[in-house]
Amino acid sequence: MKSAFVFIILILLSFSLQAQLVDEMDDESKLYAENKQVNQFFRRFNGEEDEKGERYYPKDKQYRSEKLRKKYIGILFDASNAGITPELKVEFSKDVLDKEKPVILNFHGGNWFSEVHTFFLMNGKEVPVTLFMELEKHRQGTRWVISKVYADIFRPSFERDTVKVGKFLHPLSHELDFMNLRKAFNNPDSVSQYTLKKFVPDHLSVFLYEVKKGNLKFKTVREVKFHFFQIDGWYFELSQFNRPGYNTGWLISNLVKIKNESEKNLLRKYVYYETK
Amino acid sequence: MLNYKFLSALSFGLCVVSLLMAQNADISPARKQAIDSLALEKVRDLSKYISIIGNKKTPFSEATRVMDRAEELFAPDSEMGVSSLNRKEINYYKVRKYFERLMALNYDKVTISWYDIHYISDLERQPDGRYVGVVTIYQRFEGTSDDGLKYKDTTKKDITIYVEKKKTQIQGRTIEFWDVMLGDIRVSETSA
Repeated sequence: MKSAFVFIILILLSFSLQAQLVDEMDDESKLYAENKQVNQFFRRFNGEEDEKGERYYPKDKQYRSEKLRKKYIGILFDASNAGITPELKVEFSKDVLDKEKPVILNFHGGNWFSEVHTFFLMNGKEVPVTLFMELEKHRQGTRWVISKVYADIFRPSFERDTVKVGKFLHPLSHELDFMNLRKAFNNPDSVSQYTLKKFVPDHLSVFLYEVKKGNLKFKTVREVKFHFFQIDGWYFELSQFNRPGYNTGWLISNLVKIKNESEKNLLRKYVYYETK
Repeated sequence: MLNYKFLSALSFGLCVVSLLMAQNADISPARKQAIDSLALEKVRDLSKYISIIGNKKTPFSEATRVMDRAEELFAPDSEMGVSSLNRKEINYYKVRKYFERLMALNYDKVTISWYDIHYISDLERQPDGRYVGVVTIYQRFEGTSDDGLKYKDTTKKDITIYVEKKKTQIQGRTIEFWDVMLGDIRVSETSA
């Protein structure tokens, strides 16, 4: 009797578990809503696919239609970011969906790049290295290439105090065949004081050198995001959101209206950690 | 059975070929659809194999055989890059190793099911002339141990597909067809 009771409970439990699983599996709406790939972000931004992700082509009536694009553009932003105000979104959407000159994102159009946060091992210690990647045409197709690198570990090598008089090679050093270089290089910490004031360190070169020397070994990728400067007058950042709900996947995580070219250059420098 | 499979694959290939005769650098929508179908077929095969390998009722010899078949779907050197909600860093496994780890999971019962949804990217041409795309699918995993402990997760699988035009000789005639191979797979746990 007791065992029959346990059996019935077990059967009921298994049905309820099954039902729970089916319910969870049945609700695919969140997965449909998610911007599953960067490719899908492009297609939705441009109005090039239906709600199930089936591609539209130029012969299709819906292809890049304003109505379709209006529907999608609202779900392309990170809704939890209060920094992107509703007014800014409206202004951006108006610019992008302009009837006369609609703005279409172009995968091969340049002016967008990726920021890849990685970890490398240096002397057995994990160190963060940021790679900036962009698409480049090569032979029959395209490829992602490293355009810049930023790594905190390289910074101390280039730091110098520009306020103090500091160390220098006096202006008549040439008359002595620069024999004072010996003293200059005596202390490796102060070597950077002997470089041109406007010298800008290039982390990519140092990075390649260290990798080739075997001092830096790749470990893993931690995070990927994208920066878009492709739309005149605007900059936006694209990040991946892995969280419950419908506002997930690749979403605009930052939006800035750019007034002029110098603002754009400043923003680029900021993104590349060149203002540090 | 094998003959039937071969003939259906061949006839599918020939259908595809008829769409593809005037090949140029761009892939037409019709051609893209044919390639998508072929890619999905391979992805479904992989899903089926993963479910079998993960199933605790599958005998070892059968699981090994299925692993061999699954491996054949992949281009050489393909890897699985795995991350979880708690650990964003990617761990890398060779495809075979990933299957072996799946088979050896310490649960008494494992259920692997697949969501209906899939997403297929556009195809992009790489420097060597081959095309590359990504198919996204979602997997539901549930593992239960005898003492009632249960673990479940949903993972998103972004699967690289390589698309290449190949040639074969049939009765003295050269026939061109498009082949799809699977490549690296990014496996990320999702909050869905």
